[in-house]
Amino acid sequence: MLELLVRCETWCGQMRNFLGSRALPNFIYHRPTNMEEALWLLKNLKGECKIIAGCTDFIPAIRRGAWSFSDGLNVIDIKGIKELSLIAKEGERIRIGAATKLSEIVRSPTIRKHALVLAEAVREMGSLQVRNFGTVGGNLCTASPAADTAPPFLVLDAKVKVKGIGKEEIVPLTKFFVGPGETILGSREILTEIQFPAMKPDEQHCWIKMGRRNGFTLSVISLATRVKVKDGVFDTVRIALGAVAPTPMRATEAEGYLIGKEKSAHVINEGCKIVAREVKPISDVRASSEYRKDMAYVLTKRALMAGLK
Amino acid sequence: MKVPVRFKVNKEEHKLEVDPRTTLLELLRNQLKIKSVHRGCEVGDCGACTVLLNGEPVYSCLTLAVQANEAEITTVEGLMKDHELHPLMKSFLENRGLQCGYCTSGLLMTAYFLINNLGELTEEEIRKGIEGNICRCTGYMGIVKAIKAAAEGKNSGNWW
Amino acid sequence: MENKERRLVSGKGQFVDDLEFAGMASLVFVGSPYAHAKILRIDVNKALETVGVLTIITGKEIVELTNPLPVQADLKGPGWIWRLPKVYALAVARVRWYGEPVAAVVAEDENTAREAADLIEIEYEPLPFVNDVVEAMKPGSPLLYSEWESNVQAHVKFDFGDVDSAFAEADRVIKVSWREGRASGFPIEGRGCVASYDKIMESLTVWGSFQTPFTAKHIFAETLGMPEVKVKIVSVDIGGAFGNKLHTWKGQVVALASVLTGRPVKWFELLREWIVTGPHQRDVVWEGEVAIKNDGRVLGLKANVIIDLGVEGTNRGLGTMSIIPACCSVPNAYHWKGMHVEGYGIVTNKSFYCAYRGYGKDKGIKFIERVMDQVAREVGITPEEVRFINFIQPDEFPYRQINNYTYDSGNYPAVLNKALELAVVKYCRERQRELTQQGKYIGVGMAFTIEPAGIAAPNTLFGGMTEANVKIMPDGTVEVNSDWTDLGQGAEESNAIIVSDILGCKIEDIVVPPVTSDWIGMGPLSSRGAVYIASAVAKAAKMIREKILTCASVFLKEPRENIDIADGIIYSVDDPEKRLTYKELAQRVYFFPGPRAFPKEVLLKHDHLLDVTTTWYSPNTAETGSTYTTFCSSADVAVVEVDTQTGVTKILKYVHVHDAGKIISQEIVDGQIHGGVVQGIGEALYEKLVYSQNGLLLSDSYSDYLMPTATDSPDIIVGHLETPSPFTELGSKGMGEAPIIGSKAAIIAAIEDALTPFNIRVSNSPATREKVWKWIRDSQKKSNNEVT
Repeated sequence: MLELLVRCETWCGQMRNFLGSRALPNFIYHRPTNMEEALWLLKNLKGECKIIAGCTDFIPAIRRGAWSFSDGLNVIDIKGIKELSLIAKEGERIRIGAATKLSEIVRSPTIRKHALVLAEAVREMGSLQVRNFGTVGGNLCTASPAADTAPPFLVLDAKVKVKGIGKEEIVPLTKFFVGPGETILGSREILTEIQFPAMKPDEQHCWIKMGRRNGFTLSVISLATRVKVKDGVFDTVRIALGAVAPTPMRATEAEGYLIGKEKSAHVINEGCKIVAREVKPISDVRASSEYRKDMAYVLTKRALMAGLK
Repeated sequence: MKVPVRFKVNKEEHKLEVDPRTTLLELLRNQLKIKSVHRGCEVGDCGACTVLLNGEPVYSCLTLAVQANEAEITTVEGLMKDHELHPLMKSFLENRGLQCGYCTSGLLMTAYFLINNLGELTEEEIRKGIEGNICRCTGYMGIVKAIKAAAEGKNSGNWW
Repeated sequence: MENKERRLVSGKGQFVDDLEFAGMASLVFVGSPYAHAKILRIDVNKALETVGVLTIITGKEIVELTNPLPVQADLKGPGWIWRLPKVYALAVARVRWYGEPVAAVVAEDENTAREAADLIEIEYEPLPFVNDVVEAMKPGSPLLYSEWESNVQAHVKFDFGDVDSAFAEADRVIKVSWREGRASGFPIEGRGCVASYDKIMESLTVWGSFQTPFTAKHIFAETLGMPEVKVKIVSVDIGGAFGNKLHTWKGQVVALASVLTGRPVKWFELLREWIVTGPHQRDVVWEGEVAIKNDGRVLGLKANVIIDLGVEGTNRGLGTMSIIPACCSVPNAYHWKGMHVEGYGIVTNKSFYCAYRGYGKDKGIKFIERVMDQVAREVGITPEEVRFINFIQPDEFPYRQINNYTYDSGNYPAVLNKALELAVVKYCRERQRELTQQGKYIGVGMAFTIEPAGIAAPNTLFGGMTEANVKIMPDGTVEVNSDWTDLGQGAEESNAIIVSDILGCKIEDIVVPPVTSDWIGMGPLSSRGAVYIASAVAKAAKMIREKILTCASVFLKEPRENIDIADGIIYSVDDPEKRLTYKELAQRVYFFPGPRAFPKEVLLKHDHLLDVTTTWYSPNTAETGSTYTTFCSSADVAVVEVDTQTGVTKILKYVHVHDAGKIISQEIVDGQIHGGVVQGIGEALYEKLVYSQNGLLLSDSYSDYLMPTATDSPDIIVGHLETPSPFTELGSKGMGEAPIIGSKAAIIAAIEDALTPFNIRVSNSPATREKVWKWIRDSQKKSNNEVT
């Protein structure tokens, strides 16, 4: 499975030779067992460092020549750090460790009860094999605009914890993504966990993923919503979309329009038109921007109309 | 710099020193000579290299061998009892679940997991479960039939 | 005796990638990053210095040490254009498509070869490229071959029947068009081979994922300048082929590597290299007009097809020839008065053209099925009615179609009727009407396919040769040899079934060794397994049965007429206690007592050996000149639902009814149907090779060249009818390609039917989600008089 936006075909200005499948670089493998060790490595290792958990993005990108690293790369495998592989509910707050396998999220009773939108989204990511090895943190850090864990986390108002050398901060996910394939993470920082408040019983959610085929497919557009309607009026509205902008995004303008208005077909229609204007998709081999814009409208409408009599 | 790893493959213990860039696929095929695990794409798009890692199907092309340290790995060879075919394999033969055989070893591992873990499988659940194993020959009909029959056989005790 | 499927299911496949030889080196190809460029300079020094690199081969060595790849088809006819480029196994001076192999690195292991590959410095001068056939045909377009006047590799013309009077009699003439995107099979296992050159014996053996070992031997020998007797090609287990592995190009470089290094050399490509440098197919543009009567009878057709051959289709593989069945297959299952069909094979900067299930026959048939649907709509009848009206009738066989093919047998109305019944079309159409009121769009689509099978083409490497051998070994096992390479389509099993049926031996006692170039033949392409090879094997089995009876009568002391064979026992019908097992007979014939026991009549006729090698040729081709021998028929009916807001097509029901003549194994045939139908669905909805602005292939992996997963594939309802062929030994007909042809047409037809309220004619494929969405939007804008 490979998320790619930009083909890295140049090499020192020359076009790189076409090679069907490239060798992985010679790297030095580190497997810290706890965060102190991981941070110590980040502080003291000379040369380029790459943090991995599952390799479901790392290996394909190198094989295709999209990413390339020189020999002597330090690969820091954080899969062995127990504290990074947890799903916990503390009061009303849910914490997910960054190295938690996607398949754990799908079957976790905690997530299914308190953040079903996330479980539903992850269930449709890649394939069983990808979910059994890929991690939620890896998906966020590769930062494809089509990352499927991002829209559910965004509607859950998630924050991420970033640890670096002598630093620890909590950043709202809305500020985490900077551009296609880029996050705020420095080269010596680790995303350690994602936190968000548990969904309330009176909130509804929806997850819709659209790819080019039914199964095992990259998203052409993905949509997550979290909505609370009180006395027929939109009280809480979160709408997040993937693959329609340089980063996964919240449709904040549409949200602002809907909140406080009556949940009616007309209002929903207007709100969805705003979503279609807010998204900034590109045209690529998977879909055109026009299609994505229209799907933003169509799918958001389906999500919000659900349950409307 | 080589890294020591230790794991069980089909219940047999191995202690090796591996170049960290070796994938589990390369290790199984090239060093341990377990050829049932096939190379198709090396990028996790086809499923031919699927093995069970601690009982769960993964793409061995996307797993570094060092990441399988202390793990239990199962391949098709591990499903057989001496020379006796596993009931799932018999079901694939009886129900024409294979033609060229290239996707089969990977598919068997995914199917084995699905039947062990999902209990009574509907056709929809089977198809969703094997979506990460591409087959170009059979159109999936024989495969779905074989998995369904094997799951029913498990209920009657024909399983291990 | 372990049969092949049992071996495969236990993980004991022996595919190319599994082969290991002492001292085996690894070869990796390095390709062009440009769609079209001059090669100015190749500097391999840095790469050669890498520890573990044994040698590097570039175009320079290829030109010095090998011959150009031999031409596979030379079909210039009167008034035709047929141009043959000179092609070497690696690029020489110029690269003509993104990924075209420019060099090959041979090293101790694959990783070393891959790393050294990046150290090869190649300087290119990019040239303007062309990757659209319409552009390529314009004057002033970049030329792929400077010695050619244009980018037309082939132009063929056919006149069938009397097209002028067909048009003169017509009530109406309708314009028709149909386009298919570029697609191919790309089975999960890529190409690969291990070549081993023996310096002392000066002989070459190549084990590979090859469909056609005998033809391959000729090509390897010619290219390397070796006597054919010194070259042996062995097919190992093949992970899917579908015609994509009919060619063996790239293997010649591997063979040269073995000659140069003195070591066995393995090359095995993964999916990306397979898709970028492998054989491409489909990619056609049809335009024409059909002349009809008001009641829906078709009279005549004038049509042109333009096929995008990529760099060429005559040297690396055999694609250009497919233009001919593309034109000739158009008449399909119907009565016609006349046709004029022209085909253009255009070269562009894309990978070369070869074979994929359907080859060329699929092109004409899919086109005409779309035409029939259009005719039906035009005159206001159902798609089934237009077919019933025009069908060749059961009492007309053998039927000499206007394209000079002689159709052997069939009952087309019965096949279509059965499909309509199984699909419950009447009920589906009622539901369709109800659901449209609710804003849901269901469509019923169908297609009828005649599959010409068993090609014998003059002036090509594929003229219809086949050889079969059956022998009884001293231990009583039966060995069957032929050119029926097993690609997963059940060839070994079919051989065993045919022989055990005729010889009465136990199926477990039959051994079908892997196919090698030792046996003359073309391989199982063009569905000829059930036609030529099955016939040759059956014939050989019948001949050896006669010898068995002769020998048995000597040892049982019974007249031949009194002897029968069943379940591995050769026995006297009158006195079953007088019996021999195959092993007992063989021991007596070979050794104890041996040939001395035979009467002199047998010995003087030299008729004492339990071994028959024979050949077979199509009586249809011989007597009527029909290029193909059998013509199975099939009907596909698809019911789909189209989500008109998103463009998503959901398959609600799928039916395929097939008449493959006398079926050798229904399970094998069903498997071929399932697989072919799902491939056709893939082409109808997803599969397309897409290029960037710079001429680079963007869909270069299974993530972008999308095939159906298990969740994209429907449950397929299959029905069978059998009208045996009078032209084959067993009455069997080749059937492997029909399912991929009808399925694509039926799905497209169903989508078009679902979109009837939007007045959309689907003349383009694949009907991806976005495309369907766009057609609907465009039609809505038209009806609102909006400017698009």
